[in-house]
Amino acid sequence: MDMTKPIPLTQPWTEAFWEGTKHRKLLIQHCRDCNSNIFYPRKFCPECWSENLDWIQASGKGTVHSFSTAYDMVEPRFMEDLPYTLAYVDLDEGIRMATRIVDCEPEEIEIGKRVEVTFHKLNDDFYLPYFKLI
Amino acid sequence: MSHGKIAIIGIGEVPTRIMPERTRWDILYDVCMEAIKDSGLHKNDIEGVITTAPQAQPVIASELSFGKLPEELGLKGCKDNCICNAGGAGTSNCLRLAEQYITSGVAKAVLIPHVTVHSDIPIEDTINFFARAGVDMQWEYPFGSTYNLIMGLMANRFMHESGCTPEEMASVVTALRSWAAKDPNSLFYGKEVPTVEKVLSSSMLNTPLHKRESNMLADGGSAMIVVSAEDAKKMGRPAAYKLGESVRYFSGTPVVRDIRVVQEGLRITAEEALSQAGITKEDINLWNCYLAYPLGHPMMAEMLGVAPKGEGGKYFLDGRMSFGGDIPWSTIGDAPGRGHTGSGVSAATYVETARQLMGKAGERQVKNCRYVYQNTSGGSGFNNIATIWGGQL
Ligand SMILES: [Zn+2]
Repeated sequence: MDMTKPIPLTQPWTEAFWEGTKHRKLLIQHCRDCNSNIFYPRKFCPECWSENLDWIQASGKGTVHSFSTAYDMVEPRFMEDLPYTLAYVDLDEGIRMATRIVDCEPEEIEIGKRVEVTFHKLNDDFYLPYFKLI
Repeated sequence: MSHGKIAIIGIGEVPTRIMPERTRWDILYDVCMEAIKDSGLHKNDIEGVITTAPQAQPVIASELSFGKLPEELGLKGCKDNCICNAGGAGTSNCLRLAEQYITSGVAKAVLIPHVTVHSDIPIEDTINFFARAGVDMQWEYPFGSTYNLIMGLMANRFMHESGCTPEEMASVVTALRSWAAKDPNSLFYGKEVPTVEKVLSSSMLNTPLHKRESNMLADGGSAMIVVSAEDAKKMGRPAAYKLGESVRYFSGTPVVRDIRVVQEGLRITAEEALSQAGITKEDINLWNCYLAYPLGHPMMAEMLGVAPKGEGGKYFLDGRMSFGGDIPWSTIGDAPGRGHTGSGVSAATYVETARQLMGKAGERQVKNCRYVYQNTSGGSGFNNIATIWGGQL
């Protein structure tokens, strides 16, 4: 059984996002034509189909939209992490990401609480943007 | 005045059980032959076969895709064959395609079977399948997302916004299992119905989902025979006529799926399907909802207008959707009551819709059942398909 942690299955146009995480930067794709902040990154802007896309650096701060703390029945490769909390975080820049909330007791996590990004090393190429309570 | 074009005139089903001794083809023979006999047609009258794609079972999926079923069963009149995959919404697409076969003249009668055998799949493969199904491989999966966690995230947000309590959420399991206990085709037929206390005392898988609020994987199969509404009427046999349909797409990736968009989609699809059928929600005798998990049911009840906003959970806790309650609801008990057969639970829900309208539902028969609302949804909830069915055209 493969017990290594899965790495993100990237696309050519998402590589800059993951490159950013290696430098502790949370990048958000931005459309220069219609001014949309885009998550997740696309090949073309999903709002206006422009290819005039760029990256902005997020403040790294956001709010918990929802969460669920896992105690059991996850894939064998994630068992060693239990318990862990998966969350949807609304970034101040107006996009929502799936992430983990770390560095606290699960009981402290509530919808609406403020969080900030912290980077978790997966391997030399990938750092996952996790969040911790402010 | 409705414009129904098709009707279900025959159904077949095997009890949902854990039965590794039965092969998929063994089950397919039984359900297909039973459905054809139930329809009053001859096997050679079946001109089209459209199968609900089995999930996580590549061998049978490929055999069915590439045309083995009509040959295996000796359906000598068969003109074409295919399978439809949209996860739990697969069977809805089989029915739509059956309508196309029928109205375009490809087939006069279409067989729609389904089979799933979970019990011979290695447990690691099953866990891996349900961890990856309907979640994004770049933006969700590496964080440790699973199907259960997606449901937990949705449920926690709904409870936060609606004030629905853990007791109310747990009572959905009690309600669904009360129907299952009366259903000979359920994994939980004749079994004790768990109380709210018992559900809440089971271990926490992931907040707010308790072990008894998740599903038990099982094996099963079902089949339906579909003909034109006109032909069904001429045959003069019990039938379920499709009278209305509406659908909305939400998103393939759970994190970009906003709960408010989903809620509006559940509301508007019901409204549009009812309007197409020319009836109102007061005419509905059975709300046959398919949500795969119990946690979505209170939200569904509120969006359908069956319960006032903020009271969906209370309606379940008060027993109104339970067997013997005043609002017949998911009479096979959805996946928590039936046993989870992958894409088969929604197929079984259509079979139950037909069974109720045909007056063949035994102890669970809804009195004077004239109109049924049924929904399906695929993946981790990428869409909602609302349909209205009636016992007459
Ligand atoms: Zn744009």
